[in-house]
Amino acid sequence: MSDLAHDVGVDAHHEEHESTGIENRKLGMWVFLSSEFLFFGALITNYLLYSNRGGFEGTYPAEIYDIPFTSVSSFVLLMSSLTMVLAHNALSRNDQNGARTWLFATAALGSVFLGGQVFEFYEFITVYEMTLSTNPAASAFYVLTGFHGTHVALGVIMLLSLWGISRRQGGLSERHGLNLELVGLYWHFVDIIWIVIFTVVYLLSVPPV
Amino acid sequence: MTATAERPATTIFRRPKANTGLWGWITTVDHKKIGIMYGYAAFSFFILGGIEALLLRIQLTQANSEFLTAGAYNALFTMHGTTMIFLFVMPVSSAFMNYLLPLLIGARDVAFPRLNALSWWIFFFGGIFLYSTFIFGTSVPPVAPDGVNFGNLAAGGGPGSFNFLASSPDGGWFGYQPNAGPLYSPGTAMDYWALGLQILGLASLVSSINFIVTVFNMRAKGMRLLRMPVFAWMTTVVAFLLLFSLPIIAVALFMVTFDRQFGTLFFAPVGGGDPILWQHLFWLFGHPEVYILILPAMGIVSEVLPVFSRKPLFGYSAVVFAGAAIAFLGFGVWAHHMFSSGITPVAQAAFGLATMTIAIPTGIKIFNWMGTMWGGRLWLSTPMLFAMGFVAMFTIGGLSGVTHSVVPSDWQQTDTYYIVAHFHYVLFGGAVFGIFAGLYYWFPKLTGRVMNSRLGKTHFWLQFIGFNLTFAPMHWLGLQGMVRRTWKYAPEMGLEIWNVVVTIGAFTIATSIAVFIYNWYHSRRHGELSGLDPWDARTLEWTIPNPPPEYNFAVAPEVTRLDQFWHMKYDEDEEGRAVRKPDADEMITKLEYDGLNPPSPIHLPAPSYFPFVMAMGLPIIFYGIIYHEAMWGKAMIALGVIVSLVALIGWAMEPLEEPMEHHEDHDDDEREDEVVEIETADFLKAEEAGVVSDE
Amino acid sequence: MSSEEHSHPTPGQYWKIAAFLAVVTAIEVAMFYIDRQLELGFLNAAVLLALSAIKFIVVVGWFMHVRYEKPLINRFFAGGFVLACALYLVVLTALGVVAIRGG
Repeated sequence: MSDLAHDVGVDAHHEEHESTGIENRKLGMWVFLSSEFLFFGALITNYLLYSNRGGFEGTYPAEIYDIPFTSVSSFVLLMSSLTMVLAHNALSRNDQNGARTWLFATAALGSVFLGGQVFEFYEFITVYEMTLSTNPAASAFYVLTGFHGTHVALGVIMLLSLWGISRRQGGLSERHGLNLELVGLYWHFVDIIWIVIFTVVYLLSVPPV
Repeated sequence: MTATAERPATTIFRRPKANTGLWGWITTVDHKKIGIMYGYAAFSFFILGGIEALLLRIQLTQANSEFLTAGAYNALFTMHGTTMIFLFVMPVSSAFMNYLLPLLIGARDVAFPRLNALSWWIFFFGGIFLYSTFIFGTSVPPVAPDGVNFGNLAAGGGPGSFNFLASSPDGGWFGYQPNAGPLYSPGTAMDYWALGLQILGLASLVSSINFIVTVFNMRAKGMRLLRMPVFAWMTTVVAFLLLFSLPIIAVALFMVTFDRQFGTLFFAPVGGGDPILWQHLFWLFGHPEVYILILPAMGIVSEVLPVFSRKPLFGYSAVVFAGAAIAFLGFGVWAHHMFSSGITPVAQAAFGLATMTIAIPTGIKIFNWMGTMWGGRLWLSTPMLFAMGFVAMFTIGGLSGVTHSVVPSDWQQTDTYYIVAHFHYVLFGGAVFGIFAGLYYWFPKLTGRVMNSRLGKTHFWLQFIGFNLTFAPMHWLGLQGMVRRTWKYAPEMGLEIWNVVVTIGAFTIATSIAVFIYNWYHSRRHGELSGLDPWDARTLEWTIPNPPPEYNFAVAPEVTRLDQFWHMKYDEDEEGRAVRKPDADEMITKLEYDGLNPPSPIHLPAPSYFPFVMAMGLPIIFYGIIYHEAMWGKAMIALGVIVSLVALIGWAMEPLEEPMEHHEDHDDDEREDEVVEIETADFLKAEEAGVVSDE
Repeated sequence: MSSEEHSHPTPGQYWKIAAFLAVVTAIEVAMFYIDRQLELGFLNAAVLLALSAIKFIVVVGWFMHVRYEKPLINRFFAGGFVLACALYLVVLTALGVVAIRGG
């Protein structure tokens, strides 16, 4: 009797019969990321609406940006994309140690970025007294960068989880290896959103006259 | 079903194995069971939403009635709309899509079975969370910043005998700001609304990703995209609509939650916020949403009409592309809900024009449905009646929609009952009729029995008459000046007589639904057995036994053409007429037998409790957000996060399938251990039908 | 480890790409200060947006691998991006944030 168990097509997992030739989870991640453009687009639109609407009380974010500081943290996040891609590359060459190292480096750089964000918020709130409720521009700024930061934080958690799994199991299996690629996609996405935010929110923002 | 699993090392609790009983339902990852749960939940909400409507109708039967207080009225129309849209039509469409999509494309399940279960449980807990507002929500009269009460009757009070439910969300299903914001809707009711919708949106977003990957990746061999049944196509299109519109409403709902809970100023005019921003963000989602509501029903009708006209769908490709075009164009017309909100004339003209263009693909579909029926040998079964009702009623609704696209005309119609008439014709006359067509059509698939035809036709005619009595008069009531969302109307307006007719119609609808419910439960137990192919259908889902075994297809099908099942049964003579093949019945019997006896063991995803647990965390977090000022509120947020996170970790460590014990040999001796077990009920039915012998 | 066999950039190439991105960022920051002095108006916005577009495309194309992936992925991703830009551009216009020149 022929070994029909393997000829029988659609088996939900290991015989992923992929009509597109792209693994299910990878396609799923790309689909999810494309929806996130709509999410961040709304937040950015919101910020653009309010960022220079004048006539209201309180400090506007564009009046108090620390461009050198933010440039450095933007650079840090950008470089974390490099370490991410090096992690993926290492894993594809079965260099488990290298992958682990670069994963940790990515998480570390991401954490530095987050630390910078926290510091920035702290300065804005305590020194310049700009809070969520100061004016709509402030609300928009905090919610936009706050959601971005939350995405980064979730990314760091995922990176550290992969790093932890790799340490415990002495390396990443093929299944977890795909997850590394997926986390990488997510991480780069969060980076490109920041590329847009850095330019549109920080560099191009003008407070109302 | 799989053989028993060994205890996996990565979980603390044993992996569930049950597929019966309550625990079986809680841990299921089977798309069919998930679809069934969606269906029953959605229908329960349909009843609740219907009761809300009947209460509104009682109030409106008489001029100056004070049966309901203004507060109760506002809450009831808010919850009626919210319930019908988010807790009935969307999840019932989800029920169909979940149950049918894998069957239509020849797959064993969706791409991500546990994620599918997660979507369902998130929806389930989200629905409960939203409705818990009736118990916990508060709605207090707003107070102006200078401390003086606005004297606004609306929130939770005013004269009237029925004030119960008044402290529920009352800002409309569309939550216009700043009315539904912290200043004018203090209390917690609108927070339940905003956060409840947030949870529900997440469920649909996750679902949409699942369906898109399923359609693109898991089609059977030979099932090219343009060989998929129309319902599978509409599922795909709806998934894209959800994917791209839900993030927008998510942002809007976060903004309103932040305004209400954390003091942001997105929509507060006093602080500088712009109410029009809310309208843009809401309708950017809201308009694609209405296509999300109608396209599945259009897909159902595109399946039902060909079967009962005994003809292929007229212009399959055109119907598919029209559906995609409606979705695409649907993203470009949102501001037609804002014609009277103060947008510029250029914007009004642009959106008016864009709205008119949607009539084109819609018209293509309608003509193609008519073309399907034309010249066919019509079988006026219950599903067919509902499908035909859809075509007629939806067309009427579409025509009133066209009148809205003419901007100055819309200025008169906006906020009157004319609009209420329009959207009920398309949503009830359209979506609901389509849904019933689907329920009657696929009932045999689900249960192996047929619903009673006489009761079905009684349901149809009562519903059809009741529906038209209810909503047709609203057209002229609206044009005569009856205003929407308003608790009372004055007697001198002369609106009362037709309002009485409307209320009679509403109760007629209610009666028809009662007939349906009786029919459903009666037929489940005592309905005539359907056999494999009760409707002489055309598509793949009818090639497997009713109800389907857990693995759906015993052997993955290979598809060579559209409407393959039909062509397995029928040849065409020289004049192109269908001639049933002499061995068609024999083939059907064989299909049924083969479907219950797969040639080799089938590996299915194992059940899991992680989706259930993870979904539970979300409402806990959101309850915490509403009451975050209290310590226990903050604790709830933390608890919810921990619950979800732990479930997520457990899930990530759990493999999709458990290893089977006997994997290597396929000797006949060992086959007895490996033969796929079918549920006792199915087996008995199969025996009854003479398909499986009881050796 | 993904199962597709396709050409990856080498680590060395990745470092070069990162250096390129860093340089572009530096130019962006420089533009900010230059504009403060020279007040270039619309030109400033155009240059900055172009520079970030370049960074965006490089990260998407090389780091996210879109250049080497099946076209379907590019279509999904670009589709979401284009839709977002189109919708929000209209909203910003309707809200008066973006004015149509000459209108």
